[in-house]
Amino acid sequence: MTRPGRDEDPDRLYTVTGGRSRSTTGAETFDLVTLVVSESAPVRGMQSEHAAILRICRFPTAVVELAADLGLPVSVVRILLGDLLAQGKITARHPRRAQTADALPDPDILKQVLVGLRNI
Amino acid sequence: MTSPEISPPPAAGTGRPAAGTAQPVTGTTRPATTGGGTATGTALALLVSVVVASVATLAAVQAGDESARTAIAWGAGAAGAVLCAAVTVAAHARLTNRSLRAALAAGNARAAEREAADNHFADATVPTVVERLRNGGSAETALAEAPPVASEAQRRVLVTLAREVHKGENMRAAAMSACANAAGRVQALATSMAADLREMEHRHADEDVLADLLQLDHRNAQMGRIADSIAVLTGARSGRRWAKPIVMESILRGAMGRIGGYQRVRLHSTSEVAVAGHAAEGVMHLLAELMDNAANFSPPTSEVHVYVEEVAAGVVITVEDGGLVMGEVALRRAEQAVLGEHGDLTALSGTRLGLAVVGRLARKHGLSVSFRPSAHGGTGVLVRIPRELITEARHEERAPAPPPAAGPAPSSPRAPLGAAPGTPPPAAERTRPAADHSRPDTGPPRQAEPVGTAQHDAQGHEQAESGGYATAAPPPQQFGESGLPKRRRGQTLAAVARASATPSRTADSPHGSRSGADGRADDDRAADGRAPAASPKKRPSGARFGDFRRAVQGAGDPEETGQTPLPSASSPTRSSSLSEDDTE
Repeated sequence: MTRPGRDEDPDRLYTVTGGRSRSTTGAETFDLVTLVVSESAPVRGMQSEHAAILRICRFPTAVVELAADLGLPVSVVRILLGDLLAQGKITARHPRRAQTADALPDPDILKQVLVGLRNI
Repeated sequence: MTSPEISPPPAAGTGRPAAGTAQPVTGTTRPATTGGGTATGTALALLVSVVVASVATLAAVQAGDESARTAIAWGAGAAGAVLCAAVTVAAHARLTNRSLRAALAAGNARAAEREAADNHFADATVPTVVERLRNGGSAETALAEAPPVASEAQRRVLVTLAREVHKGENMRAAAMSACANAAGRVQALATSMAADLREMEHRHADEDVLADLLQLDHRNAQMGRIADSIAVLTGARSGRRWAKPIVMESILRGAMGRIGGYQRVRLHSTSEVAVAGHAAEGVMHLLAELMDNAANFSPPTSEVHVYVEEVAAGVVITVEDGGLVMGEVALRRAEQAVLGEHGDLTALSGTRLGLAVVGRLARKHGLSVSFRPSAHGGTGVLVRIPRELITEARHEERAPAPPPAAGPAPSSPRAPLGAAPGTPPPAAERTRPAADHSRPDTGPPRQAEPVGTAQHDAQGHEQAESGGYATAAPPPQQFGESGLPKRRRGQTLAAVARASATPSRTADSPHGSRSGADGRADDDRAADGRAPAASPKKRPSGARFGDFRRAVQGAGDPEETGQTPLPSASSPTRSSSLSEDDTE
């Protein structure tokens, strides 16, 4: 796994987060599947991770996916997202909130739709 | 009669001692001639005076009365003898005087000659020999190359000196190399520990664990910097090498991560330039030392500001603190410490290694460092990185992904794990572990999927590797001048073949759409399988998640990309029931 000194970036995670190890907004704001949407374009002089998040999140993107894209641990991504949320540059959509039990279609209906589609 | 008997002894007696005293001073040939000359002259004077005195005595005796003749003879004889003695002594003294003076002059000349030879020995010969020894010559070489010495004594001195200096030089070199060796080992340990810590940071999701790991990471980075400093001072190679240009932001963060008070450092940089890989470590280390100085010599509440400015001659980085104002003398001393030519460590005190390190690094990489009072009230240090060391960030890393992720150019290769997308180097190492890791993760439904997933997998990895993120366009395939697919560095040939095959497959409409739907269902399953049990193995599943989405987006309609993750993430139970149905 280790090929010391090669092909790694020199900046360490604590410099990426500015020394914070827990997000100020808390883990409940961003869980793994929270969808993040950027509300503004990246501006010059922004931390590169923030800019990257804003670019990726032009389309709603899950936190875990962001972490994979950035190559950063989820905890670190949460901290960065907390910064952006505090600045109002992103919004977080919680999938669970959208799926309250009554708002969802009935499984039977879905099954019927599926069968119907197959029969086409 | 009596006078000849009396007079010669003084002549001989005085003549010989004179010659005898002259002997040690003068050489071996001249004393004989001068002594002989003195003796001859004295004898001549004696002879002449005896003759004159005897003639005068005889004349006086002849002229004298008969009765007084005896008395006259005695008196005249005595007077003659006295006269003879006086003349002889005078003549001898005069001659001796002359010869002694000549000997003295000769002695003085020789003394001056010898003094000149001694001066030459001290001022030219010895320094030449010592310098030759300092430059690594052996004692024998140095002695052989030394200019000839005037005397045996000097030669002996020179031999002893050469041996001793050579021995001292050997000891110094041995101590230096021992230090360098030890520093190198500590560096290697710190580097591998940093890699390990990075991996652990990715592995552990718990915030408390992460906090501890980050702290350890920070300590480790500081330790690495000290080892780097020792390596620089002992003349060893710098510890790490970067194979690619490092963007300025990473340079600055890498530098500030190595000091204790990094949280007080504020970066003000909009620069997009990168520093060439071979110099990046040196620049980082130099900046770290300057930031450390700035942070240490300013109140713990004040901030250290770092500005980056692109100028015609390169890039100027300013490190300003709000601490102690350095006086004129202190500024000059600091510049002196940086410029200090002498490579010895004797001028260093234990606590002030920083500026010497800065000086060494600046000389090595051709950076210019200057000090001035700061507008913040403290001291400002200006570092100019010459244009030769500045490059734009690597083109191919930024170019393919402008829409969603131009920024990740620095961040995409950050992932150290084999499973992470975008890890640049060994392809074999990467693709295989990625597959291996991901298989057990996704669990049983995964096995039910036959070929389509594997292909998607490959495609997803493909895109990740080539840096194409969630673009709707097909994966950027590079073609060489010959029109054949070009293998990217670190990519396997099989991967290239697959990549070139994928566009045709996706263009084929029924197959393409099927695979797209397939991929989506698979996506659901991935989300389904992972969401409840995400915490232990976050990293590989996260990577997989991204891969699937990319694969789906690459194959499917670009319009759908926005909506794709919605159903996947929305209802685990639903999608699982769906997929159950799908398989029946």
